[in-house]
Amino acid sequence: MHKKMAFSFPDEVLEHVFSFIQSDKDRNAVSMVCKSWYEIERWCRRKVFVGNCYAVSPRMVIRRFPEFRSIELKGKPHFADFNLVPDGWGGYVFPWIAEMAGAYPWLEEIRLKRMVVTDESLELIAKSFKNFKVLVLSSCEGFSTDGLAAIAASCKNLKELDLRDCEVDDLSAHWLSHFPETYTSLVSLNISCLGSDEASFSALERLVRRCTNLKTLRLNRAVPLDKIANILRHAPQLVEFGTGTYTADVRPDVYSDLAGVLSSCKELKSLSGFWDVIPDYLPAIYPVCSKLTSLNLSYATIQSPDLIKLVSHCPNLQRLLVLDYIEDSGLEVLASSCKDLQELRVFPSDPFGAEPNVSLTEQGLVAVSLGCPKLQSVLYFCRRMSNEALVTIARSRPNFTRFRLCIIEPKTADYLTLEPLDVGFGAIVQYCKDLRRLSLSGLLTDRVFEYIGTYAKKLEMLSVAFAGDSDLGLHHVLSGCESLRKLEIRDCPFGDKALLANAAKLETMRSLWISSCAVSFAACKLLGQKMPRLNVEVIDERGPPDSRPENCPVDKLYIYRSIAGPRFDMPPFVWTMDEDSGLRLS
Amino acid sequence: MCMELQLGLAPPGSDTWSRPLLKLGLYEDINVNSKKRGFDHGYLEDEFSAASFKNYEKGLVGWPPVKTWRRKKLRCQVHNHMTAAENGCCGGRASNSTYVKVKMEGVVIARKIDISIHQSFETLTTTLMTMFDIFDENRRSFKLTYQDKEGDWLIAEDVPWRFWCSSCDLGRSGYFCL
Repeated sequence: MHKKMAFSFPDEVLEHVFSFIQSDKDRNAVSMVCKSWYEIERWCRRKVFVGNCYAVSPRMVIRRFPEFRSIELKGKPHFADFNLVPDGWGGYVFPWIAEMAGAYPWLEEIRLKRMVVTDESLELIAKSFKNFKVLVLSSCEGFSTDGLAAIAASCKNLKELDLRDCEVDDLSAHWLSHFPETYTSLVSLNISCLGSDEASFSALERLVRRCTNLKTLRLNRAVPLDKIANILRHAPQLVEFGTGTYTADVRPDVYSDLAGVLSSCKELKSLSGFWDVIPDYLPAIYPVCSKLTSLNLSYATIQSPDLIKLVSHCPNLQRLLVLDYIEDSGLEVLASSCKDLQELRVFPSDPFGAEPNVSLTEQGLVAVSLGCPKLQSVLYFCRRMSNEALVTIARSRPNFTRFRLCIIEPKTADYLTLEPLDVGFGAIVQYCKDLRRLSLSGLLTDRVFEYIGTYAKKLEMLSVAFAGDSDLGLHHVLSGCESLRKLEIRDCPFGDKALLANAAKLETMRSLWISSCAVSFAACKLLGQKMPRLNVEVIDERGPPDSRPENCPVDKLYIYRSIAGPRFDMPPFVWTMDEDSGLRLS
Repeated sequence: MCMELQLGLAPPGSDTWSRPLLKLGLYEDINVNSKKRGFDHGYLEDEFSAASFKNYEKGLVGWPPVKTWRRKKLRCQVHNHMTAAENGCCGGRASNSTYVKVKMEGVVIARKIDISIHQSFETLTTTLMTMFDIFDENRRSFKLTYQDKEGDWLIAEDVPWRFWCSSCDLGRSGYFCL
């Protein structure tokens, strides 16, 4: 009797309970409790997340989740952002759109990252999903403004169109005019990556004017400063705004117009854009600074004094993206002014220069770590570092969840002691117990990996370059980091032993990227043979790996778990190692 | 015969450029360094595309890890910013001027050439040849090469024009040999 009661909740009740569970991880856990929960959960999952588009096939997803409304897909490996993945590698979204077009006429949201999106795909989206609401394309490529025109013309219920860092073929700015005059539902528009030299300002203005629910508007560089006032005048309700080019001949009327219109935007919390900034126009944003929580100045080539002035006006800042023009002095001001700061990204203004062009050192990062108690996420490019600084940072800021440090010159030692930076990074992983993401740089031996394997138990993503002495380094990471999902390595002396010894670990991870290291073709074949649920892909533009001796290292290796088997859309320079331990020619 | 043409990539008005930069000379005389770092393996592309961009000094792809998109946008900006500075629009760093000082051996007066108004090595060569009265029929016997910071001679045409033009590294010491 009691046993029966445990399972006597009607499905609708369970479904209602599950509707409060949004996170993917939790949903997955729920579905594994028992068969009936699996069944109920799969029918009511509305958002599907696929971290690697090749880990599963569209059909498998559709079969398991018959009623999802939102899908997020990721394609290329992260190192594609830095040109390590050759063009044509893959990550095509079209097969997904094609399958979903038939199965899900009610699909509402598509979010893609590092995928190849064609105009054909966009046109198919526009045609197939009548209630389509959200399109977010992050670091995608392969489409043009023609595809965007199709979306604009057909998606009557579109709320969000967000193009982040995409490579778009800018054929015409007039795609914006394809939004019908009756269309008013836009809430978020991000076209900051579009290049077009002539922008359709009147179409943009009209669009902004009639979409009274618009909360996010990020313009592209083509929109000149004197046009911003006209656009903003119609959108005082904006919460997030990205300017276009922020330079113009200094004219008092343009300035006061802009300042006036900005100060009437009482809800503004986030600013970005600021291309081609000239300092004279910066004070126009001071009135809104006190409410700002997010500021992206990473394209603003203004110097430290102007940056300091700006930052001192923003006491509520939680997120700052900035160039290293801010210098140590600016970061010290940031540390004393912005006590709510949670995320800081400092980008290099001259990444390829041999000499430092600005006075930005490890001191800036130390200052911010000491001064900002809520700081948890950092991306920092600099030219020198010391173990002492890293230990100070780790001790003062144990709440780091993401720590990405790039010392520009590979294998740079501690500038004070000339030792490797093992101890410094060791302190980071030891003190920051919730660290989920870490990027290493500088001179590092196997020792740092020993620290990481020992302490970084919550680490999910690790990026390694020009580090380590031997396979032992890789072994420490693979055997010690229990939560590891993504590992990307380049130019390290890691070879076959660690990889083969930890083959089983690879099935517990999303993916491993390893390039310019010492993994032999023979080891790749063996791995492919031993592990049928891994796709072991060799990327080599020099030609077929079997045209060289077996013990020759492969150029690039991408290993990922998959239940879909080897993929069939590989370009000529990618070979998959399958169970037959032979080559599958594409 | 080798005419020494020294192009300096330095801020306008700066008299000193410690390194010789552009060199005009007959192809056979030039000792082209066969070590073509980093521009093999199909990385040569006409477009200033992600795939052809490298950390020039080390021949490293994708290092430092700055997103391609961000690099392009920032570079376009700095370039424009500097050109604007040239025109006196606004103050700012002038360390990446697009003007190149031209000096020819045996000629006292230096000339200036604006790299940014050229679209290719072709047009640059044509301008240079006109500047120094080299007849068109002699053009084919000249090959454009340049010396980078580390003293290696590289063939100019191997570098995508826009890459060479806008790269800060090369900007400081490109040494052309026609």
